[in-house]
Amino acid sequence: MFNFDMEDIDLEKTFDLIVLGGGPTAIGCAIYAARFAMDVLVIGKTFGGLIATTHLVENYPAITTISGQGLMEMFREHMNSLNIPYISDEIRSIDKVDDHFELHSFFQKFKANSICVATGSERKKLGIPGEEEFVGRGVSYCATCDGPFYVDKVVCVIGGSDSAAKEALFLSQNVRKVYIIYRGEEIRAEPINKQRVYNNDKIEIIYNTNVVEIKGETNVKSVIFDNGKEFEVDGVFIEIGSIPNSDLAKRIGVKINEKGEIIINRKSETNIPGVFAAGDVADAPFKQAITGVAEGVVAAYSAFDYVKEMNIEY
Amino acid sequence: MSQDDRYKEIIKTEMAKLNRPVTLKVFTCKEKQPSGSQIRECMDCGQFMALLRVYEENSNGMLTIEELCIDDNPEFAKQYDISRVPTILFIDDQGREVIRYLASPKAGEIQPFIQAIFAFAGAPNYYEKTIEQNLNRIEPSTIKVMITETCPYCPQVATVVNNFAIASKGKIRSVIIDIMANPDIGQYYDAAGVPYTIINDKKTIVGMVGAPEILKALIGGNVRVQY
Repeated sequence: MFNFDMEDIDLEKTFDLIVLGGGPTAIGCAIYAARFAMDVLVIGKTFGGLIATTHLVENYPAITTISGQGLMEMFREHMNSLNIPYISDEIRSIDKVDDHFELHSFFQKFKANSICVATGSERKKLGIPGEEEFVGRGVSYCATCDGPFYVDKVVCVIGGSDSAAKEALFLSQNVRKVYIIYRGEEIRAEPINKQRVYNNDKIEIIYNTNVVEIKGETNVKSVIFDNGKEFEVDGVFIEIGSIPNSDLAKRIGVKINEKGEIIINRKSETNIPGVFAAGDVADAPFKQAITGVAEGVVAAYSAFDYVKEMNIEY
Repeated sequence: MSQDDRYKEIIKTEMAKLNRPVTLKVFTCKEKQPSGSQIRECMDCGQFMALLRVYEENSNGMLTIEELCIDDNPEFAKQYDISRVPTILFIDDQGREVIRYLASPKAGEIQPFIQAIFAFAGAPNYYEKTIEQNLNRIEPSTIKVMITETCPYCPQVATVVNNFAIASKGKIRSVIIDIMANPDIGQYYDAAGVPYTIINDKKTIVGMVGAPEILKALIGGNVRVQY
């Protein structure tokens, strides 16, 4: 819980809305719900979500440039100013009981009239030999977390997305050399970041190449390419996209598409009345912090309408 | 407003809500000057203490930071195995060490540190009920969490582990270690990624880990839950 004066908050009551998630989508949803005078609770495994690991956010309107962590501190400040309770926990099951939902974690049972699933996504893994073995000993999924371990060392970033480019740019501040290893012919970063990568002497791109194995002893020593070549590196940063955290929603019967994303309409409604979804876990084609927040805000408004229909007075 | 000023504002706002007294002990080292006065010897201790005074000064007198020089308090330092400075200790009323900080509570670490102060002072602890229900299945444990200042996941793991320690009535001890300030500890454990959580120097969990996983690792089995 980030609100330190939580003694007045009754966790046994039925909340109007419980938001699942800890990223900008979830907090944006909760802020609007609080302003609609709803009793709202946020339950997240990771406060900040994936954006908190972003070294630099330069596309959140009205904020020219800020770290992902800094942006989420601002979200937290806003949330705290409205006395929205946040709990660091993970819901493992949800049941519909009469007209409300019961949510179960290892630590508490919660009740809510409506739910917004804003559980985001998590980094994809390569699934190659050595990956799991060397996590924390040379394999990383978070440059802002682990970059400081590689001062003056040689690292590679696997992937060709905008996130991969940003990771490489962040790492280049301290390492001796960063290799971006990408299976395609041209990295897919935003033009501004692509140009920064091209202009950076410390970054080199290796195209049309897959990494098939990570090798080392105590720590990572090298990677093996699909052409059989062994390439020496001290660290491997994996940035090959993400997968939606939709398992819980799926288990309660929420409709999911072939990518594992929750199908929502323009009101952020799912197929289950009272269950809304927004952000990276939902099926929007373009996923950004700002679009997630917008979907979360719409979800809050729809939840407000839904709870109002239940004849609960405000 | 600069990021540093923003962080100071957070400390001021949140510490003003502390309504129960709490004392933390902080070990530093000082050198005697020919004049008889003392100056802090360790490079980090001055800044470290200045930051802790911000917490103290904004707590309406509820937080007391007791600075102890290791040379002036050798018995106490020995009793709590203080081998490096600065070190913050949360010691309960039975003299048991509950939380040790080998890290400065700045930037992202402000939130878990304040939360630990509040819970240690007796504020509601979300994990208390479940920890109590499973207490007889938990061995006396030390959980070390290695962090870096830039890691966004580290404060969350630190929060959970600190709260577990406070709820465990002396069975769990939490140690929060800034791996950049204590590189020898990182090297000892071959850690090149954070958060790096080690339970009793045996089980290692690398990366973001939630409260249920830490509790399961502590128990070595399923968590018993009774709402």
